[in-house]
Amino acid sequence: MSARSASRETGGGPPVTDAGERSGLDEPVVYEEHEGLLDRVPRWVAIIGLAILGLALWQLIVGLELISRILLPTPLDTAREIVDSAGNIVTGGHVFEALWITTQEVILGFVAAAVLGFGLGVLVGETRFGQRAVMPYLVGFNALPKVAFAPVFVAWLGFGVSSKVVMALFIAFFPVIVDTAAGLAATDRDTITLFRSMGANRWQTLGKLKLPTALPFIFAGLKTAAVFSVVGAVVGEYLGGGKGLGELVRLSAQQLRIDRVFALIFYLSLIGLALFAVVGWLERRIVFWHRPDPTDVASA
Amino acid sequence: MSTAPDAPTGPAGTERPPPGDVVLDVRNLSKVYARNDVHALDGIDLQISKGQFASIIGPSGCGKSTLLKIMAGLIPASGGQVVLDGSPVQGPRPDIGIMFQQATLLPWRTSLENVLLPIEIREGARAAATLRDLANELLAMVGLGGFEKAYPGELSGGMAQRVAICRMLVIEPTILLLDEPFGALDELTRERMNEELQRICSERNATAFMVTHSIPEAVFLGDVLFVMSSRPGRIAEVVQIDLPRPRDFSITTSPRFGEIVQHVREQLDLGAQL
Repeated sequence: MSARSASRETGGGPPVTDAGERSGLDEPVVYEEHEGLLDRVPRWVAIIGLAILGLALWQLIVGLELISRILLPTPLDTAREIVDSAGNIVTGGHVFEALWITTQEVILGFVAAAVLGFGLGVLVGETRFGQRAVMPYLVGFNALPKVAFAPVFVAWLGFGVSSKVVMALFIAFFPVIVDTAAGLAATDRDTITLFRSMGANRWQTLGKLKLPTALPFIFAGLKTAAVFSVVGAVVGEYLGGGKGLGELVRLSAQQLRIDRVFALIFYLSLIGLALFAVVGWLERRIVFWHRPDPTDVASA
Repeated sequence: MSTAPDAPTGPAGTERPPPGDVVLDVRNLSKVYARNDVHALDGIDLQISKGQFASIIGPSGCGKSTLLKIMAGLIPASGGQVVLDGSPVQGPRPDIGIMFQQATLLPWRTSLENVLLPIEIREGARAAATLRDLANELLAMVGLGGFEKAYPGELSGGMAQRVAICRMLVIEPTILLLDEPFGALDELTRERMNEELQRICSERNATAFMVTHSIPEAVFLGDVLFVMSSRPGRIAEVVQIDLPRPRDFSITTSPRFGEIVQHVREQLDLGAQL
Protein backbone atom coordinates (compact mmCIF):
# COMPACT_ATOMS: atom_id res chain seq x y z
CA MET A 1 0.00 0.00 0.00
CA SER A 2 1.44 3.40 -0.94
CA ALA A 3 1.63 6.39 1.35
CA ARG A 4 -1.00 8.03 -0.73
CA SER A 5 -3.68 5.40 -0.42
CA ALA A 6 -2.86 4.83 3.24
CA SER A 7 -3.42 8.42 4.22
CA ARG A 8 -6.55 8.59 2.12
CA GLU A 9 -8.10 5.56 3.75
CA THR A 10 -7.28 6.62 7.27
CA GLY A 11 -8.71 10.00 6.38
CA GLY A 12 -6.21 11.76 8.61
CA GLY A 13 -3.52 14.28 7.78
CA PRO A 14 -3.57 17.10 5.30
CA PRO A 15 -4.83 16.44 1.79
CA VAL A 16 -1.99 15.07 -0.26
CA THR A 17 -1.28 16.49 -3.65
CA ASP A 18 0.86 14.72 -6.18
CA ALA A 19 3.52 17.36 -5.78
CA GLY A 20 3.36 17.12 -2.00
CA GLU A 21 3.70 13.37 -2.19
CA ARG A 22 6.84 13.61 -4.22
CA SER A 23 8.45 16.05 -1.87
CA GLY A 24 7.13 14.28 1.27
CA LEU A 25 8.95 10.98 0.92
CA ASP A 26 10.36 11.35 4.43
CA GLU A 27 6.96 11.41 6.05
CA PRO A 28 6.15 8.24 8.00
CA VAL A 29 3.75 5.91 6.29
CA VAL A 30 0.87 4.73 8.45
CA TYR A 31 -0.16 1.18 7.69
CA GLU A 32 -3.48 0.19 9.18
CA GLU A 33 -4.85 -3.27 9.51
CA HIS A 34 -8.38 -3.31 8.26
CA GLU A 35 -10.58 -5.70 10.11
CA GLY A 36 -14.13 -6.33 9.04
CA LEU A 37 -16.96 -5.34 11.35
CA LEU A 38 -17.82 -9.02 12.02
CA ASP A 39 -14.26 -9.84 13.07
CA ARG A 40 -14.31 -7.13 15.72
CA VAL A 41 -17.37 -8.52 17.51
CA PRO A 42 -16.47 -10.28 20.80
CA ARG A 43 -16.51 -14.04 20.57
CA TRP A 44 -19.40 -14.72 22.95
CA VAL A 45 -21.55 -12.12 21.22
CA ALA A 46 -20.81 -13.75 17.86
CA ILE A 47 -21.67 -17.22 19.15
CA ILE A 48 -24.93 -16.18 20.82
CA GLY A 49 -25.80 -13.92 17.93
CA LEU A 50 -25.47 -16.78 15.44
CA ALA A 51 -27.66 -18.98 17.62
CA ILE A 52 -30.38 -16.31 17.83
CA LEU A 53 -30.15 -15.78 14.09
CA GLY A 54 -30.51 -19.52 13.42
CA LEU A 55 -33.46 -19.90 15.78
CA ALA A 56 -35.18 -16.84 14.36
CA LEU A 57 -34.77 -18.22 10.85
CA TRP A 58 -36.16 -21.55 12.01
CA GLN A 59 -39.16 -19.86 13.69
CA LEU A 60 -39.73 -17.80 10.56
CA ILE A 61 -39.71 -20.78 8.22
CA VAL A 62 -42.28 -22.65 10.30
CA GLY A 63 -44.26 -19.48 11.10
CA LEU A 64 -44.67 -18.71 7.40
CA GLU A 65 -45.79 -22.36 6.97
CA LEU A 66 -43.08 -23.04 4.41
CA ILE A 67 -42.86 -26.41 6.14
CA SER A 68 -45.72 -28.11 7.96
CA ARG A 69 -45.60 -27.65 11.71
CA ILE A 70 -46.17 -31.39 12.13
CA LEU A 71 -42.95 -32.19 10.31
CA LEU A 72 -40.93 -29.33 11.80
CA PRO A 73 -41.95 -27.98 15.20
CA THR A 74 -41.05 -24.41 16.13
CA PRO A 75 -38.10 -23.70 18.43
CA LEU A 76 -40.59 -22.72 21.13
CA ASP A 77 -42.43 -26.08 20.83
CA THR A 78 -39.10 -27.84 21.15
CA ALA A 79 -38.06 -25.74 24.12
CA ARG A 80 -41.38 -26.50 25.85
CA GLU A 81 -40.85 -30.19 25.24
CA ILE A 82 -37.29 -29.96 26.63
CA VAL A 83 -38.66 -28.32 29.80
CA ASP A 84 -41.41 -30.96 30.11
CA SER A 85 -38.82 -33.74 29.80
CA ALA A 86 -36.64 -31.98 32.36
CA GLY A 87 -39.55 -32.12 34.81
CA ASN A 88 -39.98 -35.81 34.06
CA ILE A 89 -36.27 -36.43 34.55
CA VAL A 90 -36.13 -34.55 37.85
CA THR A 91 -39.12 -36.46 39.26
CA GLY A 92 -37.68 -39.79 38.12
CA GLY A 93 -40.28 -40.50 35.45
CA HIS A 94 -40.00 -42.67 32.34
CA VAL A 95 -37.68 -40.22 30.54
CA PHE A 96 -35.34 -40.38 33.51
CA GLU A 97 -35.34 -44.19 33.37
CA ALA A 98 -34.60 -44.14 29.64
CA LEU A 99 -31.85 -41.56 30.10
CA TRP A 100 -30.30 -43.63 32.88
CA ILE A 101 -30.33 -46.82 30.80
CA THR A 102 -28.76 -45.14 27.78
CA THR A 103 -26.18 -43.43 29.98
CA GLN A 104 -25.18 -46.81 31.41
CA GLU A 105 -24.90 -48.30 27.93
CA VAL A 106 -22.76 -45.40 26.74
CA ILE A 107 -20.44 -45.45 29.75
CA LEU A 108 -19.98 -49.22 29.75
CA GLY A 109 -19.44 -49.23 25.98
CA PHE A 110 -16.97 -46.35 26.24
CA VAL A 111 -14.97 -47.92 29.07
CA ALA A 112 -14.84 -51.26 27.24
CA ALA A 113 -13.76 -49.47 24.04
CA ALA A 114 -11.09 -47.55 25.94
CA VAL A 115 -9.65 -50.69 27.55
CA LEU A 116 -9.81 -52.87 24.42
CA GLY A 117 -8.61 -50.05 22.15
CA PHE A 118 -5.70 -49.22 24.43
CA GLY A 119 -4.65 -52.88 24.75
CA LEU A 120 -4.81 -53.54 21.02
CA GLY A 121 -3.16 -50.19 20.34
CA VAL A 122 -0.18 -51.12 22.49
CA LEU A 123 -0.02 -54.57 20.82
CA VAL A 124 -0.06 -53.01 17.36
CA GLY A 125 2.26 -50.13 18.25
CA GLU A 126 4.82 -52.11 20.21
CA THR A 127 5.16 -55.53 18.60
CA ARG A 128 6.14 -56.56 15.12
CA PHE A 129 3.54 -59.30 15.32
CA GLY A 130 0.86 -56.74 16.07
CA GLN A 131 2.06 -54.45 13.32
CA ARG A 132 2.37 -57.14 10.67
CA ALA A 133 -0.36 -59.64 11.53
CA VAL A 134 -2.99 -57.87 13.63
CA MET A 135 -3.07 -54.44 11.98
CA PRO A 136 -4.26 -55.65 8.54
CA TYR A 137 -7.26 -57.27 10.18
CA LEU A 138 -8.05 -54.14 12.13
CA VAL A 139 -7.85 -52.00 8.99
CA GLY A 140 -10.14 -54.42 7.18
CA PHE A 141 -12.48 -54.43 10.15
CA ASN A 142 -12.62 -50.65 10.19
CA ALA A 143 -13.81 -50.67 6.58
CA LEU A 144 -16.87 -52.74 7.54
CA PRO A 145 -20.22 -50.94 7.86
CA LYS A 146 -20.33 -51.63 11.60
CA VAL A 147 -23.91 -50.46 12.07
CA ALA A 148 -25.01 -53.40 9.93
CA PHE A 149 -23.94 -55.75 12.72
CA ALA A 150 -26.48 -54.37 15.21
CA PRO A 151 -29.11 -57.08 14.51
CA VAL A 152 -26.44 -59.73 15.01
CA PHE A 153 -25.68 -58.46 18.52
CA VAL A 154 -29.41 -58.35 19.28
CA ALA A 155 -29.71 -61.96 18.10
CA TRP A 156 -26.77 -62.99 20.25
CA LEU A 157 -27.37 -60.90 23.35
CA GLY A 158 -31.09 -60.12 23.34
CA PHE A 159 -32.97 -56.83 23.71
CA GLY A 160 -31.36 -55.81 26.98
CA VAL A 161 -28.53 -53.45 27.79
CA SER A 162 -25.69 -55.79 26.79
CA SER A 163 -26.37 -55.75 23.03
CA LYS A 164 -26.20 -51.93 23.08
CA VAL A 165 -23.03 -51.92 25.14
CA VAL A 166 -21.38 -54.20 22.59
CA MET A 167 -22.63 -52.02 19.73
CA ALA A 168 -21.15 -48.92 21.40
CA LEU A 169 -17.87 -50.76 21.98
CA PHE A 170 -17.89 -52.05 18.41
CA ILE A 171 -18.18 -48.56 16.92
CA ALA A 172 -15.96 -46.72 19.41
CA PHE A 173 -12.84 -48.81 19.94
CA PHE A 174 -11.09 -48.44 16.59
CA PRO A 175 -10.02 -44.78 16.92
CA VAL A 176 -8.46 -45.58 20.30
CA ILE A 177 -6.32 -48.32 18.69
CA VAL A 178 -5.14 -46.10 15.86
CA ASP A 179 -4.34 -43.14 18.12
CA THR A 180 -2.58 -45.26 20.74
CA ALA A 181 -0.38 -46.90 18.11
CA ALA A 182 0.32 -43.54 16.44
CA GLY A 183 1.22 -42.01 19.81
CA LEU A 184 3.67 -44.80 20.61
CA ALA A 185 5.24 -44.37 17.18
CA ALA A 186 5.61 -40.61 17.75
CA THR A 187 8.33 -41.12 20.36
CA ASP A 188 11.47 -39.17 19.50
CA ARG A 189 14.26 -41.42 18.13
CA ASP A 190 17.06 -39.68 20.01
CA THR A 191 15.21 -40.12 23.29
CA ILE A 192 14.79 -43.83 22.57
CA THR A 193 18.55 -44.00 21.90
CA LEU A 194 19.12 -42.18 25.18
CA PHE A 195 17.02 -44.76 27.03
CA ARG A 196 19.02 -47.56 25.41
CA SER A 197 22.26 -45.89 26.44
CA MET A 198 20.95 -45.78 30.02
CA GLY A 199 20.36 -49.53 29.87
CA ALA A 200 16.56 -49.24 30.01
CA ASN A 201 14.68 -52.46 29.34
CA ARG A 202 11.62 -52.68 27.14
CA TRP A 203 9.12 -52.13 29.96
CA GLN A 204 10.98 -49.12 31.33
CA THR A 205 11.10 -47.59 27.85
CA LEU A 206 7.39 -48.25 27.42
CA GLY A 207 6.30 -47.04 30.84
CA LYS A 208 8.62 -44.10 31.37
CA LEU A 209 8.89 -42.84 27.81
CA LYS A 210 6.54 -44.17 25.17
CA LEU A 211 3.24 -44.26 27.03
CA PRO A 212 3.58 -40.73 28.44
CA THR A 213 4.52 -39.56 24.93
CA ALA A 214 1.43 -41.28 23.56
CA LEU A 215 -0.99 -39.84 26.15
CA PRO A 216 -2.07 -36.75 24.16
CA PHE A 217 -2.80 -39.03 21.19
CA ILE A 218 -4.64 -41.53 23.37
CA PHE A 219 -6.85 -38.78 24.76
CA ALA A 220 -7.66 -37.63 21.23
CA GLY A 221 -8.78 -41.20 20.52
CA LEU A 222 -10.82 -41.31 23.72
CA LYS A 223 -12.64 -38.10 22.78
CA THR A 224 -13.61 -39.62 19.46
CA ALA A 225 -14.66 -42.79 21.28
CA ALA A 226 -16.81 -40.74 23.68
CA VAL A 227 -18.84 -39.40 20.76
CA PHE A 228 -18.91 -42.71 18.89
CA SER A 229 -20.12 -44.71 21.89
CA VAL A 230 -23.29 -42.56 22.03
CA VAL A 231 -23.82 -43.28 18.33
CA GLY A 232 -23.32 -47.01 18.97
CA ALA A 233 -25.74 -47.15 21.90
CA VAL A 234 -28.46 -45.24 20.03
CA VAL A 235 -28.10 -47.32 16.88
CA GLY A 236 -28.32 -50.40 19.07
CA GLU A 237 -31.52 -49.07 20.60
CA TYR A 238 -33.06 -48.15 17.24
CA LEU A 239 -32.49 -51.64 15.93
CA GLY A 240 -32.71 -53.65 19.12
CA GLY A 241 -35.49 -52.04 21.14
CA GLY A 242 -34.99 -51.95 24.89
CA LYS A 243 -35.95 -49.13 27.21
CA GLY A 244 -33.39 -46.44 26.46
CA LEU A 245 -33.71 -42.96 24.97
CA GLY A 246 -33.21 -44.33 21.46
CA GLU A 247 -36.37 -46.39 21.81
CA LEU A 248 -38.27 -43.29 23.03
CA VAL A 249 -37.01 -41.35 20.02
CA ARG A 250 -38.17 -44.11 17.69
CA LEU A 251 -41.65 -44.24 19.27
CA SER A 252 -42.02 -40.43 19.28
CA ALA A 253 -41.02 -40.27 15.62
CA GLN A 254 -43.61 -42.92 14.77
CA GLN A 255 -46.22 -40.71 16.47
CA LEU A 256 -44.91 -37.73 14.49
CA ARG A 257 -44.06 -35.94 17.75
CA ILE A 258 -41.00 -34.34 16.21
CA ASP A 259 -40.85 -31.75 19.01
CA ARG A 260 -40.40 -34.59 21.48
CA VAL A 261 -37.85 -36.27 19.20
CA PHE A 262 -35.82 -33.06 19.21
CA ALA A 263 -36.07 -32.78 22.98
CA LEU A 264 -34.89 -36.38 23.44
CA ILE A 265 -32.02 -35.85 21.02
CA PHE A 266 -31.08 -32.81 23.11
CA TYR A 267 -30.72 -35.04 26.16
CA LEU A 268 -28.90 -37.70 24.15
CA SER A 269 -26.32 -35.14 23.11
CA LEU A 270 -25.95 -34.11 26.72
CA ILE A 271 -24.73 -37.64 27.49
CA GLY A 272 -22.09 -37.36 24.77
CA LEU A 273 -21.09 -33.84 25.79
CA ALA A 274 -20.81 -34.79 29.46
CA LEU A 275 -18.61 -37.79 28.65
CA PHE A 276 -16.53 -35.66 26.30
CA ALA A 277 -16.12 -33.03 29.03
CA VAL A 278 -15.05 -35.63 31.59
CA VAL A 279 -12.39 -36.98 29.19
CA GLY A 280 -11.23 -33.44 28.43
CA TRP A 281 -11.01 -32.64 32.14
CA LEU A 282 -8.98 -35.80 32.78
CA GLU A 283 -6.70 -34.89 29.88
CA ARG A 284 -5.95 -31.45 31.31
CA ARG A 285 -5.21 -32.99 34.69
CA ILE A 286 -3.03 -35.85 33.42
CA VAL A 287 -1.33 -34.41 30.33
CA PHE A 288 -0.44 -31.16 32.09
CA TRP A 289 2.72 -30.62 30.03
CA HIS A 290 1.01 -30.72 26.65
CA ARG A 291 -0.27 -27.46 25.22
CA PRO A 292 -3.20 -28.28 22.98
CA ASP A 293 -3.10 -27.10 19.42
CA PRO A 294 -4.92 -23.73 19.35
CA THR A 295 -6.63 -24.72 16.11
CA ASP A 296 -8.11 -27.80 17.78
CA VAL A 297 -11.67 -26.59 18.33
CA ALA A 298 -12.69 -29.76 20.14
CA SER A 299 -10.32 -29.11 23.06
CA ALA A 300 -11.29 -25.46 23.49
CA MET B 1 50.29 -30.51 2.16
CA SER B 2 49.96 -27.92 4.88
CA THR B 3 50.18 -24.16 4.44
CA ALA B 4 50.69 -23.64 8.17
CA PRO B 5 54.26 -24.95 8.35
CA ASP B 6 54.42 -25.25 12.11
CA ALA B 7 50.94 -26.67 12.46
CA PRO B 8 51.11 -29.25 15.23
CA THR B 9 49.96 -32.21 13.25
CA GLY B 10 50.98 -35.70 12.47
CA PRO B 11 49.61 -38.61 10.47
CA ALA B 12 46.95 -40.77 12.05
CA GLY B 13 48.05 -42.94 14.93
CA THR B 14 51.66 -41.79 15.21
CA GLU B 15 51.30 -39.48 18.19
CA ARG B 16 49.95 -41.86 20.77
CA PRO B 17 49.68 -40.73 24.37
CA PRO B 18 51.45 -42.80 27.00
CA PRO B 19 49.57 -46.13 27.28
CA GLY B 20 48.88 -45.81 30.99
CA ASP B 21 46.90 -42.65 30.44
CA VAL B 22 44.59 -44.03 27.79
CA VAL B 23 40.94 -44.09 28.86
CA LEU B 24 39.38 -44.86 25.51
CA ASP B 25 41.16 -46.99 22.96
CA VAL B 26 39.60 -47.58 19.56
CA ARG B 27 41.43 -50.35 17.72
CA ASN B 28 41.16 -50.96 13.99
CA LEU B 29 37.42 -50.35 14.12
CA SER B 30 35.33 -50.96 11.02
CA LYS B 31 31.65 -50.92 10.21
CA VAL B 32 30.18 -52.40 7.06
CA TYR B 33 26.49 -52.21 6.30
CA ALA B 34 25.89 -55.56 4.65
CA ARG B 35 22.58 -54.45 3.15
CA ASN B 36 24.21 -52.13 0.64
CA ASP B 37 27.87 -53.05 1.22
CA VAL B 38 28.75 -49.56 2.47
CA HIS B 39 32.01 -49.25 4.35
CA ALA B 40 30.94 -46.65 6.88
CA LEU B 41 34.12 -46.94 8.93
CA ASP B 42 37.42 -48.45 7.91
CA GLY B 43 40.33 -49.12 10.22
CA ILE B 44 39.67 -46.39 12.79
CA ASP B 45 42.46 -46.13 15.38
CA LEU B 46 42.29 -43.49 18.04
CA GLN B 47 43.21 -43.02 21.68
CA ILE B 48 41.88 -40.53 24.20
CA SER B 49 43.72 -40.11 27.47
CA LYS B 50 42.44 -39.15 30.88
CA GLY B 51 41.18 -35.57 31.04
CA GLN B 52 41.54 -35.04 27.31
CA PHE B 53 38.88 -33.33 25.22
CA ALA B 54 38.82 -34.87 21.76
CA SER B 55 36.70 -33.74 18.82
CA ILE B 56 35.98 -35.37 15.53
CA ILE B 57 35.02 -33.50 12.41
CA GLY B 58 34.36 -34.58 8.87
CA PRO B 59 32.03 -34.22 5.90
CA SER B 60 28.41 -35.26 6.24
CA GLY B 61 27.98 -39.00 6.05
CA CYS B 62 31.62 -39.78 6.88
CA GLY B 63 30.48 -42.06 9.69
CA LYS B 64 31.38 -39.94 12.71
CA SER B 65 27.97 -40.40 14.31
CA THR B 66 28.20 -44.13 13.61
CA LEU B 67 31.58 -44.12 15.36
CA LEU B 68 30.07 -42.38 18.39
CA LYS B 69 27.20 -44.87 18.53
CA ILE B 70 29.65 -47.80 18.44
CA MET B 71 31.69 -46.17 21.20
CA ALA B 72 28.49 -45.87 23.26
CA GLY B 73 27.74 -49.56 22.73
CA LEU B 74 24.53 -48.73 20.89
CA ILE B 75 25.41 -50.52 17.67
CA PRO B 76 27.90 -53.35 17.10
CA ALA B 77 31.10 -52.90 15.11
CA SER B 78 31.89 -55.15 12.15
CA GLY B 79 35.53 -55.44 13.14
CA GLY B 80 38.00 -54.17 15.72
CA GLN B 81 36.99 -53.03 19.17
CA VAL B 82 36.44 -50.16 21.55
CA VAL B 83 38.17 -50.50 24.91
CA LEU B 84 37.02 -48.20 27.68
CA ASP B 85 38.88 -48.16 30.98
CA GLY B 86 40.47 -51.52 30.19
CA SER B 87 37.39 -53.48 29.20
CA PRO B 88 35.81 -53.80 25.75
CA VAL B 89 32.49 -52.01 25.13
CA GLN B 90 29.92 -54.62 24.23
CA GLY B 91 26.72 -52.74 24.98
CA PRO B 92 25.40 -49.70 26.84
CA ARG B 93 27.42 -49.12 30.02
CA PRO B 94 26.84 -47.07 33.15
CA ASP B 95 30.26 -45.42 32.83
CA ILE B 96 29.39 -43.79 29.49
CA GLY B 97 27.58 -40.44 29.47
CA ILE B 98 25.92 -39.36 26.27
CA MET B 99 24.36 -36.17 24.96
CA PHE B 100 22.65 -35.25 21.72
CA GLN B 101 21.87 -32.23 19.59
CA GLN B 102 18.41 -32.14 21.13
CA ALA B 103 18.17 -31.99 24.91
CA THR B 104 15.77 -35.00 24.83
CA LEU B 105 14.29 -34.08 28.22
CA LEU B 106 11.02 -35.70 29.24
CA PRO B 107 8.45 -32.88 29.30
CA TRP B 108 6.44 -34.44 32.14
CA ARG B 109 9.41 -34.43 34.49
CA THR B 110 10.95 -31.49 36.31
CA SER B 111 14.60 -30.58 35.71
CA LEU B 112 15.56 -32.46 38.85
CA GLU B 113 13.57 -35.56 37.88
CA ASN B 114 15.13 -35.45 34.40
CA VAL B 115 18.63 -35.29 35.87
CA LEU B 116 17.88 -38.30 38.08
CA LEU B 117 16.39 -40.37 35.24
CA PRO B 118 19.55 -42.46 34.52
CA ILE B 119 19.82 -43.38 38.20
CA GLU B 120 16.14 -44.24 38.37
CA ILE B 121 16.42 -46.52 35.34
CA ARG B 122 19.55 -48.31 36.47
CA GLU B 123 19.03 -48.47 40.22
CA GLY B 124 15.38 -47.66 40.83
CA ALA B 125 13.41 -44.74 42.26
CA ARG B 126 14.75 -45.20 45.79
CA ALA B 127 18.38 -44.87 44.70
CA ALA B 128 17.40 -41.81 42.66
CA ALA B 129 15.80 -40.19 45.73
CA THR B 130 19.04 -40.53 47.73
CA LEU B 131 20.92 -38.62 45.02
CA ARG B 132 18.66 -35.56 44.99
CA ASP B 133 21.31 -33.45 46.70
CA LEU B 134 23.92 -34.39 44.11
CA ALA B 135 21.49 -33.55 41.31
CA ASN B 136 20.68 -30.21 42.92
CA GLU B 137 24.39 -29.42 43.16
CA LEU B 138 24.87 -30.26 39.49
CA LEU B 139 22.01 -27.97 38.49
CA ALA B 140 23.47 -25.19 40.61
CA MET B 141 26.87 -25.77 38.98
CA VAL B 142 25.44 -25.12 35.49
CA GLY B 143 23.63 -22.02 36.74
CA LEU B 144 20.18 -23.56 37.07
CA GLY B 145 19.81 -23.19 40.82
CA GLY B 146 16.15 -22.38 41.44
CA PHE B 147 15.01 -24.23 38.32
CA GLU B 148 14.95 -27.68 39.94
CA LYS B 149 11.16 -27.83 39.84
CA ALA B 150 10.77 -26.23 36.41
CA TYR B 151 9.42 -28.32 33.55
CA PRO B 152 11.27 -28.44 30.20
CA GLY B 153 8.47 -26.43 28.57
CA GLU B 154 9.48 -23.52 30.80
CA LEU B 155 13.19 -23.67 29.86
CA SER B 156 15.04 -22.06 26.95
CA GLY B 157 17.04 -24.21 24.53
CA GLY B 158 20.32 -23.41 26.29
CA MET B 159 18.84 -24.15 29.72
CA ALA B 160 17.46 -27.47 28.47
CA GLN B 161 20.94 -28.45 27.23
CA ARG B 162 22.36 -27.55 30.66
CA VAL B 163 19.88 -29.96 32.24
CA ALA B 164 20.99 -32.57 29.70
CA ILE B 165 24.62 -31.96 30.78
CA CYS B 166 23.64 -32.61 34.40
CA ARG B 167 21.75 -35.77 33.41
CA MET B 168 24.91 -36.98 31.65
CA LEU B 169 27.14 -36.14 34.64
CA VAL B 170 24.93 -37.58 37.40
CA ILE B 171 26.13 -41.13 36.73
CA GLU B 172 29.76 -39.90 37.03
CA PRO B 173 30.78 -41.37 33.69
CA THR B 174 34.33 -42.24 32.70
CA ILE B 175 33.82 -40.65 29.29
CA LEU B 176 31.40 -38.10 27.86
CA LEU B 177 30.17 -38.76 24.34
CA LEU B 178 28.76 -35.59 22.77
CA ASP B 179 26.91 -35.78 19.47
CA GLU B 180 26.80 -32.19 18.16
CA PRO B 181 25.64 -31.09 21.60
CA PHE B 182 24.92 -27.45 20.79
CA GLY B 183 24.16 -27.77 17.08
CA ALA B 184 20.52 -26.79 17.55
CA LEU B 185 21.24 -23.62 19.53
CA ASP B 186 21.64 -20.10 18.19
CA GLU B 187 25.18 -18.81 17.73
CA LEU B 188 25.37 -16.62 20.85
CA THR B 189 23.95 -19.30 23.14
CA ARG B 190 26.27 -21.80 21.52
CA GLU B 191 29.36 -19.71 22.37
CA ARG B 192 28.24 -19.38 25.99
CA MET B 193 27.55 -23.11 26.21
CA ASN B 194 30.99 -23.89 24.80
CA GLU B 195 32.64 -21.79 27.51
CA GLU B 196 30.42 -23.48 30.09
CA LEU B 197 31.29 -26.94 28.81
CA GLN B 198 34.98 -26.13 28.89
CA ARG B 199 34.70 -24.96 32.51
CA ILE B 200 32.74 -28.08 33.56
CA CYS B 201 35.17 -30.43 31.85
CA SER B 202 38.24 -28.82 33.38
CA GLU B 203 36.66 -28.66 36.88
CA ARG B 204 35.89 -32.36 36.75
CA ASN B 205 38.93 -33.36 34.70
CA ALA B 206 36.43 -35.03 32.37
CA THR B 207 37.41 -37.08 29.36
CA ALA B 208 35.23 -36.22 26.38
CA PHE B 209 34.69 -37.11 22.76
CA MET B 210 32.64 -34.70 20.67
CA VAL B 211 31.20 -34.97 17.18
CA THR B 212 30.79 -31.56 15.59
CA HIS B 213 30.29 -29.77 12.30
CA SER B 214 31.92 -26.58 13.48
CA ILE B 215 35.69 -26.23 13.06
CA PRO B 216 35.95 -23.23 15.46
CA GLU B 217 33.96 -25.13 18.09
CA ALA B 218 36.25 -28.16 17.78
CA VAL B 219 39.39 -25.99 17.99
CA PHE B 220 38.04 -23.89 20.85
CA LEU B 221 37.07 -26.86 23.03
CA GLY B 222 39.51 -29.57 22.06
CA ASP B 223 42.96 -30.78 23.01
CA VAL B 224 43.02 -32.99 19.98
CA LEU B 225 40.97 -33.00 16.79
CA PHE B 226 40.46 -36.01 14.53
CA VAL B 227 39.71 -35.09 10.94
CA MET B 228 37.76 -37.76 9.07
CA SER B 229 37.44 -38.44 5.39
CA SER B 230 34.44 -40.22 3.96
CA ARG B 231 33.71 -43.36 1.94
CA PRO B 232 35.25 -45.22 3.58
CA GLY B 233 35.29 -43.32 6.85
CA ARG B 234 38.91 -42.96 7.96
CA ILE B 235 40.90 -40.73 10.27
CA ALA B 236 42.74 -38.54 7.78
CA GLU B 237 44.60 -36.33 10.22
CA VAL B 238 45.16 -35.84 13.92
CA VAL B 239 45.55 -32.19 14.94
CA GLN B 240 46.96 -31.39 18.38
CA ILE B 241 45.56 -28.10 19.64
CA ASP B 242 48.19 -26.35 21.76
CA LEU B 243 46.20 -23.25 22.67
CA PRO B 244 46.66 -22.34 26.35
CA ARG B 245 43.89 -23.05 28.86
CA PRO B 246 41.62 -21.78 30.21
CA ARG B 247 40.36 -20.35 26.93
CA ASP B 248 37.74 -17.65 26.58
CA PHE B 249 36.15 -16.55 23.39
CA SER B 250 38.71 -13.81 22.73
CA ILE B 251 41.09 -16.59 21.76
CA THR B 252 39.05 -17.17 18.62
CA THR B 253 40.51 -13.96 17.16
CA SER B 254 44.14 -14.92 17.93
CA PRO B 255 46.46 -15.72 14.99
CA ARG B 256 47.24 -19.20 16.30
CA PHE B 257 43.54 -20.05 16.49
CA GLY B 258 43.13 -18.86 12.91
CA GLU B 259 46.10 -20.94 11.76
CA ILE B 260 44.73 -24.12 13.24
CA VAL B 261 41.23 -23.49 11.86
CA GLN B 262 42.73 -22.81 8.43
CA HIS B 263 44.81 -25.99 8.60
CA VAL B 264 41.78 -28.12 9.54
CA ARG B 265 39.74 -26.55 6.74
CA GLU B 266 42.44 -27.47 4.22
CA GLN B 267 42.52 -31.02 5.50
CA LEU B 268 38.73 -31.25 5.15
CA ASP B 269 38.88 -29.88 1.61
CA LEU B 270 41.57 -32.41 0.79
CA GLY B 271 39.36 -35.18 2.10
CA ALA B 272 36.42 -33.92 0.08
CA GLN B 273 38.41 -34.15 -3.16
CA LEU B 274 39.29 -37.77 -2.63
